[in-house]
Amino acid sequence: MLALLGTVIGGVVSLLAIGFVESVLWLNDRLLVSPRTRIQHEENPFLVAAATVLVPAIGGLVVGLILRYLVAERRPLGPPDTILAVQTRSAPPSVRSGLLSTLAAIVSLGAGASVGQYGPMVYLGTLVGAVLSRLRLAIPNLQAIAIAGGVAAAISTAFNAPIAGLVFAHEVILRHYSIQAFAPTAVASAAGYVVANVIFERPPLFFVAFEGVEHGHEFLLFALVGVLGALLAIIFMKAILACSAFAGRSRIPQVFRPMLAGLILGVVALQLPDVLGIGKETLRFATIEGAFGIGELALILVAKLAVTVLCLGFGFAGGVFSPALLIGILFGALFGSALGDFTAIAHSGVVPYAICGMMAVTSPVIGAPLAMILIVFELTRSYDLTIAAMVAVVFANLLSYRLFGRSLFDIQLLRRGFDLSLGRGSAILVGRRLAELMHDDFLRFSPQDEIGEALRRLGESGRAEGLVVERDGTYVGVLRLGACLARDGSARVDEAVDRNALAFDETTSVWQAMEGLRHFLGEIAPVVSASDGRLLGVVSESTVIDAYLETVNRLRREENESL
Amino acid sequence: MNRFSACFLILCLWVPALARADDGRSLTITTWGGAYEASQRAAYFDSFAEATGVEIRLKPYNGGVAPLRGQGTSGKDQWDVLDMTEPDALAACEEGLLAPFDPQDLRPAPDGTAARKDFLSGSFLDCGVVHLVYSTVLAYDDRAFPGDKPQSVADFFDIERFPGKRALRRQPIALLEWALLSYGVPISQLYDLLSTERGLTLAFRRLDQIRDHIVWWESGSEPVEFLKRGEVVMASGFNGRFFNARVNDGIPITVIWDGQLLDSSVWAIAKTSQHQDLARDFIRFATRAENMAALAGLIPYGPMRRSAMRRIGLHAHSNVPMLHHMPTSPGNLDRAIRSDSQWYAHTEAIRQRRFEAWLARSLY
Repeated sequence: MLALLGTVIGGVVSLLAIGFVESVLWLNDRLLVSPRTRIQHEENPFLVAAATVLVPAIGGLVVGLILRYLVAERRPLGPPDTILAVQTRSAPPSVRSGLLSTLAAIVSLGAGASVGQYGPMVYLGTLVGAVLSRLRLAIPNLQAIAIAGGVAAAISTAFNAPIAGLVFAHEVILRHYSIQAFAPTAVASAAGYVVANVIFERPPLFFVAFEGVEHGHEFLLFALVGVLGALLAIIFMKAILACSAFAGRSRIPQVFRPMLAGLILGVVALQLPDVLGIGKETLRFATIEGAFGIGELALILVAKLAVTVLCLGFGFAGGVFSPALLIGILFGALFGSALGDFTAIAHSGVVPYAICGMMAVTSPVIGAPLAMILIVFELTRSYDLTIAAMVAVVFANLLSYRLFGRSLFDIQLLRRGFDLSLGRGSAILVGRRLAELMHDDFLRFSPQDEIGEALRRLGESGRAEGLVVERDGTYVGVLRLGACLARDGSARVDEAVDRNALAFDETTSVWQAMEGLRHFLGEIAPVVSASDGRLLGVVSESTVIDAYLETVNRLRREENESL
Repeated sequence: MNRFSACFLILCLWVPALARADDGRSLTITTWGGAYEASQRAAYFDSFAEATGVEIRLKPYNGGVAPLRGQGTSGKDQWDVLDMTEPDALAACEEGLLAPFDPQDLRPAPDGTAARKDFLSGSFLDCGVVHLVYSTVLAYDDRAFPGDKPQSVADFFDIERFPGKRALRRQPIALLEWALLSYGVPISQLYDLLSTERGLTLAFRRLDQIRDHIVWWESGSEPVEFLKRGEVVMASGFNGRFFNARVNDGIPITVIWDGQLLDSSVWAIAKTSQHQDLARDFIRFATRAENMAALAGLIPYGPMRRSAMRRIGLHAHSNVPMLHHMPTSPGNLDRAIRSDSQWYAHTEAIRQRRFEAWLARSLY
């Protein structure tokens, strides 16, 4: 059953992913974005120049309109949404939003925006997985498995790399290993590979000939590439976050932001056509010795980084993966070329440095070191290059984890209020509102009640505390048995009430409640409306602990589930 | 009555009718000369003339669109049927120099399969029909390399390991692909990369490295001559000519199939032709499966009809199996570049401009 599910998901996702890529290429050809069509109109330079500036701008407007008026979330969907849905076991955004976001990504990429294609492809995989998980199959954890399978198939199709697809789904999406999820994910990944490679014979994304690393000391240099690549990746990620924040604060209406970014991109592309689109030509040239001068490499590197940050921050729909690959390979080529030009250090050409740079920048951004190493292996089929890339990737991820975080996706989620850094248990509890656990089984007193009456009611019910509430429902505080006994029976409740007792509001998460209950002595805690101070209900300590244990146990079961 | 005698009968009934219709007329056909022209004569020019009584006049043509532009509507030497490369045919068609072509005109295969199904996909253009696949290949003189032999495009550019002059066509065709291929670029990305300023620069930079070792050729028979006389040790050229030199003339030339540039040849009719009907009759005749197979039995250019391909056997004179020498033979196809005709048709100006500029300057 699981294998069948994996096959179906893999096949469907692979076909959709190929359709996605083909649509983008078709648009690139029609809209004079690809060099191959631009050169065929070179006798008409005005047309090419006009297309360079106007196509990304108009494409940006279309993207802005789609996202603003048609997508419920009002932003492009991507891997963070996938991660959130799987990690917190919540429902992903609607199918309609997913489809329209994918459409926005096709328009963005088709019009030459400097964004990536793999993020939208991963989301396409998520979409298929989410739709299939609605089937009433008697499979526990179906949603997570189906989505992971979809993502694995998308990566497998995109890179012709089934093993990397499988590992990517585990490393980035599932974040745990269970044989129950492993089997269907592997099948989906293989099915995606078969469709893309055997049936459609898609050409491999990348092919480099490499003779082997000639000198032992070069591994130190690869590690250095990793460290520098991590720093570059951190600059890239911080810039994207800062640019998004700036765009959010700015007065530019959301609809027009991508258009503005497209316009700027177009003007830059008039001088540097390399920054347009995914840049697969530039990616290839970076592995050719002498294709760029050092100054040229640095210029394109900076320009590509800047326009990508602009395009992503200003709301084009697309991923960070492909731009990170390009920025990384340019950086690596720069490092390799500088090594040859400015030092006398013996090295084995520019290729291993370009590949190491590519992976050292990309891996921290998407937070998938193992998948990156395997992508190198499956794309180049070169053991030497894989080992070199492994050294760079490990150092890059170590440093970036320390200085930044697990990945750009995780930090984006953190800014949306979901902290995955403490594990998915906390993420689920953070996502769960205390209000769900609320009840109204408690003793209610008025501030004007006499202490004697209150003592009698406490004694009858066998409880040690009750809540004091005004006639209009406004919460006052907690009345404890001890405080009553210490006072005269004719005194008012008002005098004995503890107004500083622990209280939650309707936005409190189960996770926050657990933290709050740490030094809590008592039976119940009030939940008070943050807006008008009215008492909404109470939670008992035991229900919060039950909810916590239930979540932890469910996760433990999922992560140890067998077939 | 079997299928062949049926076909023969149809032919007998049809050819005299054709002959009556165009009695005493002449048809001017362009040709690429040399072994190819000789093979075409034997395969269908002569038999068409014989069957119809039409006089066939052959005019030399070495490719390009420019020679067509000079064609007036009158005059004796006016071209009727053109044997063009696909990019040239596409460009000429867009310029309105060719008559529209209707594939319905073509005859079905001997077994009755409609021409539409019998021809390989992509054969029918707006202004013509693709009739064969030829290939521009690199080849070397066996006598020049008794030891280590050049085997790849990269070897062609390796002056140190394989010293000696190289003959290249004085046209920006194939040599840019080869120059870029020598950097280890995958074949599938060649045209994408050649479409960028950087790709062109890299290609010309590679050519610069062998500039002093290049001997230029213009007509298809020259590279064979150069190799035969020992003037060059390697040359680019059409695969059929090299085959002919080796098999018919015993010249020790070996083809390097790595990086062969597959291109198509198209029958087209000049718009200015005064003999449109006769021209169509000729194309119908030349694209009959038997005639296409006959040509393929003389010179290894791959026919575009499946029914013709099935008929390919031994070389007409030497009994060499022709299939192995076809550019489309599976073993030869592994590292073939499929020429992008649309790209070629629309980049003629820039390729020529950059090529001439490179020829004029020694620096790049």
